Amino acid sequence: MVVFYRRMPEFDYVRPRSLDEALDLVGEAEAGQYRVFAGGTDILEQLKTRKVATPEAVVDLKCIPELGGVEREEDGALRIGATASVAEIAASPGAAGANAALAQGSREIASVQIQNRATIVGNICNAVSSADSAPPLLALDARVVCAGAGGERSIDIADFFEGPGRPALRPGEIVRSIRVPARSANWRSVYLKLAPRGKMDLAWVGVAVAAAIDNGEIKDIRIALGAVAPTPIRALKAEEVLRGQTIEPDLVNHAAETAAGEADPRADSFRASADYRREVIDVLVRRAINQLAA
Amino acid sequence: MTPITCEFVLNGRTEQVSVAPNTTLLHMLRESFMLTGVREGCGHGECGSCSIVVDGKLMNSCLILAVEVDGKEIQTIEGLAAPDGTFHPVQQAFVDESGMQCGACTSGMVMSVKTLLEANPDPTREEMKEALAGNFCRCTGWELIFKSVEEAAIAMRQGAAR
Amino acid sequence: MSTAPVKKIDNWPNLIGKKLPRVDAPQKVTGDAKYAADCNQPGQYWVKLVRSPYPHARIVGIDASKALKHPGVKGVLTGEDFNDFSWGWMPQTRDERPLAVGKVLYYAEAVAAVCAADEATAELACELVEVEYEELPGVFDPEEAMKDGAPLVHEQRAGNLSWDFHMDYGDAEKGFAKADLVREERFETGRVITGFLEPPAAVAMWDTDGITIWASKQSPYFHYRHLAACFGLPLSKIRVIQPFVGGGFGGTKNDSLAGDFCAVLFAKRLGRPVKFVYSMEEVLTTCRRRHNFIVDTKIGMMKDGTLTAMQQTAIADGGAYTAIGPLTMYLSGVMGTLPYKLPNFKFDAYRIHTNNPIGAAMRGHGSTHTRYAAEILMNMMAEELGLDRLDVRLKNAIEAPHTTVNGITVNSCGLKEGLQTLRNSEAWQNREKTPKGGPIAHGVGISGTSYLGGARQRGHQSCAAVVRLCEDGTINYLTGASDSGQGSDTVLVQIIAEELGLTLDDVSIRRVDTAVTPIDAGSYGSRVTILAGQAAQKAAREIKEQLAEVAAGVWKTTADRILFNDRTVFVDGDPDKSMPFRKLTQIACYDAAGSVIMGKGYSQYDLEEYDFEQGYGNPGVSYSFTSQLAEVDVDLETGIVNTTNFLIAHDSGKPLHPVNVEAQCHGSASQGLGQALYENFKMDQGHTRNPTMVNYMMPLATEHPKMEVVHIETEDPSGPFGAKEASEGAIVSTPPAIVDAIHDATGVWFTSQPITPEMIVTALKEKKSREKKANGKAS
Repeated sequence: MVVFYRRMPEFDYVRPRSLDEALDLVGEAEAGQYRVFAGGTDILEQLKTRKVATPEAVVDLKCIPELGGVEREEDGALRIGATASVAEIAASPGAAGANAALAQGSREIASVQIQNRATIVGNICNAVSSADSAPPLLALDARVVCAGAGGERSIDIADFFEGPGRPALRPGEIVRSIRVPARSANWRSVYLKLAPRGKMDLAWVGVAVAAAIDNGEIKDIRIALGAVAPTPIRALKAEEVLRGQTIEPDLVNHAAETAAGEADPRADSFRASADYRREVIDVLVRRAINQLAA
Repeated sequence: MTPITCEFVLNGRTEQVSVAPNTTLLHMLRESFMLTGVREGCGHGECGSCSIVVDGKLMNSCLILAVEVDGKEIQTIEGLAAPDGTFHPVQQAFVDESGMQCGACTSGMVMSVKTLLEANPDPTREEMKEALAGNFCRCTGWELIFKSVEEAAIAMRQGAAR
Repeated sequence: MSTAPVKKIDNWPNLIGKKLPRVDAPQKVTGDAKYAADCNQPGQYWVKLVRSPYPHARIVGIDASKALKHPGVKGVLTGEDFNDFSWGWMPQTRDERPLAVGKVLYYAEAVAAVCAADEATAELACELVEVEYEELPGVFDPEEAMKDGAPLVHEQRAGNLSWDFHMDYGDAEKGFAKADLVREERFETGRVITGFLEPPAAVAMWDTDGITIWASKQSPYFHYRHLAACFGLPLSKIRVIQPFVGGGFGGTKNDSLAGDFCAVLFAKRLGRPVKFVYSMEEVLTTCRRRHNFIVDTKIGMMKDGTLTAMQQTAIADGGAYTAIGPLTMYLSGVMGTLPYKLPNFKFDAYRIHTNNPIGAAMRGHGSTHTRYAAEILMNMMAEELGLDRLDVRLKNAIEAPHTTVNGITVNSCGLKEGLQTLRNSEAWQNREKTPKGGPIAHGVGISGTSYLGGARQRGHQSCAAVVRLCEDGTINYLTGASDSGQGSDTVLVQIIAEELGLTLDDVSIRRVDTAVTPIDAGSYGSRVTILAGQAAQKAAREIKEQLAEVAAGVWKTTADRILFNDRTVFVDGDPDKSMPFRKLTQIACYDAAGSVIMGKGYSQYDLEEYDFEQGYGNPGVSYSFTSQLAEVDVDLETGIVNTTNFLIAHDSGKPLHPVNVEAQCHGSASQGLGQALYENFKMDQGHTRNPTMVNYMMPLATEHPKMEVVHIETEDPSGPFGAKEASEGAIVSTPPAIVDAIHDATGVWFTSQPITPEMIVTALKEKKSREKKANGKAS
């Protein structure tokens, strides 16, 4: 039958004080026993509407100091802690400069209220194709550091999205941080989002482009697309069109067209048709590259 | 479900409660503390009518569990006016400029405008729109809300200058 | 008792026309204002509804035994518990039941109700109610539903016809025959909803005194009649108390809900207060929506732009039940002869049942669909004839006094002044000057529309006011007119204060309570300022007369020389003879007879012929006229539209509270903007795919243009101080102005709402390939 819920289902609440404590908890758990969270903006809504199975307890990661913070590491990489809020990241100097797409993507997420609470790690763990943080992270070659009882491993962000709603986490694993590697000074990046309204909407098309440009020549490039495939993707063929080439309009158009062809948007979306999304990919990729070239 | 004890500062007073872990902050505020000025519109973070300030940051109380605010400082609309009843400049501006109609969005809107002006004392209209995108209003068409924000900004800048 | 004439004094009026704070603003900015969900009674239980997963199904059986055994559950109701009660807007349309009986006719229709000690328990227990359904084939498109062989929503309504309404004035065929250009197009409006931010809620109590319910109702008196009928109680024992209401806009909060009836029945059976609060998703899935219409429109025009005839055939998706649908069909046609001179008008409207959620009233009731179609078609034809569309409007605009072919009498009309305001605006003057080329195209569009005020209904439609003078010179004002945010409380208080020369703070208005406040037909059809205002003015004058008599006695003069201003009472031309209002009150109340001074007033319609069946006569007391200009920037590559500016020249007769009138225009325009570009329920076999605020897409701060309102003052003789309606005009004028602006920017006419970015991109592609083909042929 149909019931419209205003109250949460019953669950307990656990607050580990260290990463080891958290890993012990989830490591020994049965499937579905615990649900780990930080910002909670996705999971609390999913719990209330009964879209996900109710766990025995929710596990709040926010009191684990090792999981917080946004900072530059010695090698110049940007480390984003699991519990760092979207707002923190948007305001961080580390998300500017070559990493500007990351700040832009962060500022596109929902609203000020949500950004103050939600986390980028949570955003990628939710693994929705339209996540605004995903194309920027893909374009910036980010790596996801996952911690488990057996130790830590680092995954390329491109391998982190296994399918809609399915991050590449093994049972008992928690994402500890995201690392965005340092890049040389000639790199720039941008994130463009097409949504019918200013903010609150999920992206219909999300495009992030990062490029190293010297004297009008594209030394290297990353083009990432969100909301136009089951997961966020890189437009590898489009990148090939431009890598090592001099920027000029016909080439940019060709790359944009190629990118559109690499997408595989949902046929049955009530938001926007697949054809329209492909049109828009073309437009946004072209605009993004032109913005970086200017 | 095991109830959990938390302690936090609410509108300037230290409070200690024992609360069920699945209670949202919104419902605890409305039903245990009778702070019905914190409104429930959509209940899942899309309308901003439940907006409050937690440790200085604007958040939707419907998407926070009550137990998560242990050790934190919370301000709701009820805590905005001075103890003697004098309105905060944002409240006064909304009264003077009729920045509301039905009032359902007003609590959250006033909290949102307050945090906006604390961070950005002289916002452009575009900046106002971006900052207030998380507060839904069906009645006003926004003109008088923007006017209220402008007047509040002037009052707050004057207050700060003294 | 003689009527003390109103004398003009220096600096009068003090309040009418001034910028004044709303009387309820302090409560709203502090969070003190109590809405229905904030009401609580000691010992209250909660009720939650079990709803159907099918849009059309037979209810085979309901087994509540597991739910009843769940700890904390106090009871379960099903449709049979309501003893065959059904309600509807007219006696012959009572087809809706508190809980479904026998069949469900729309997705998530309520079939059972669970009452428990707290809401969470009630929700858990709902999951334990077992309902067996036999799914039935459903019909979800009104044109499909009209065909032979389509599944019937109500077995006795052939062709799924819920209601029809016809008008035939003049001779449309002759009008088309003599026209230089006749054109016919099909227009569609979207599936939209009122979109109030406060979901409906109530707390109900039952005792030997009757029913007491604090309920989120825009018009409590509809609900009190429904409760009396449902529970077999006299009206005098039904007390509906209106807390603050978080938005109404017509429809749902002017009607009753499953939650209301179930809460009251549980309160009766269990002897406890019972509360419910709907969730927003529940509202967006199950509550009344605006009808969506298909309007076939045909217009005849001379080559100089003069209109000769219009014919419209409207098909409305009424959804599963009738509700207020008959009025919708009437209102969609009756104003077709406004605001342009139209000698020949034929109108046929059909409300069709489907297994979709129910279509009902919403701001700009009826007219929004048909006026939008007529406005666009007029512009299309002006374009075809090479005429300026503003000129065409000016040419055809009515001027007061005017009587339409269907007997509407217009006593004040600021349409021409409004259109001239648009013509003289910078935006219109500079419209050719915006730079072309580049992906963003600028467009300027206009519209000129009308809407009634003081809507008439069959049966009861009057307003009354009771004003009580307290012994210290302050006023208690009782009215059944309700403020759901539109600011009527402030305007009514203003009228009373103005009459008595007092300030707003001196007059205290009580929220509607059907046991105490005089009956009122409710807040809809822009009737409150006009009708309740008239009643308030009369009631205040009664008090004034009584006090004037006392003052005349004190100063040994006649009552007609007594004036009231600035909280003072004095004799005209004799400044020595004056005293504070408060002092006069004390004399009146304590000295001599020791009076209790009260005033009452009623609104009054002129008696005249009125034909609800054929749409002849006045559907309202007066008519507002809105001329609107809209500016848009269209991104031609993505189709995203940025609305930058509205100029709204609104004739509200006399703006009693100008800021309030502007605010109403802003709010109407905001909802019109939503209809034109953003809002639409995506339906799939009766299921709503997007029943959340974000996915349904109402415009946020980021979508709103700058809005400027220009007041056109025409001082209608029927309104208090000359006022006409202000709360609906701009919702009618906004969508056509936007459509016109988008055409200006893109060269494309869109005939359905909402206009999505995808529609724009697709249309531009098609336009480009048509042009290519044409050029190819030409070469």
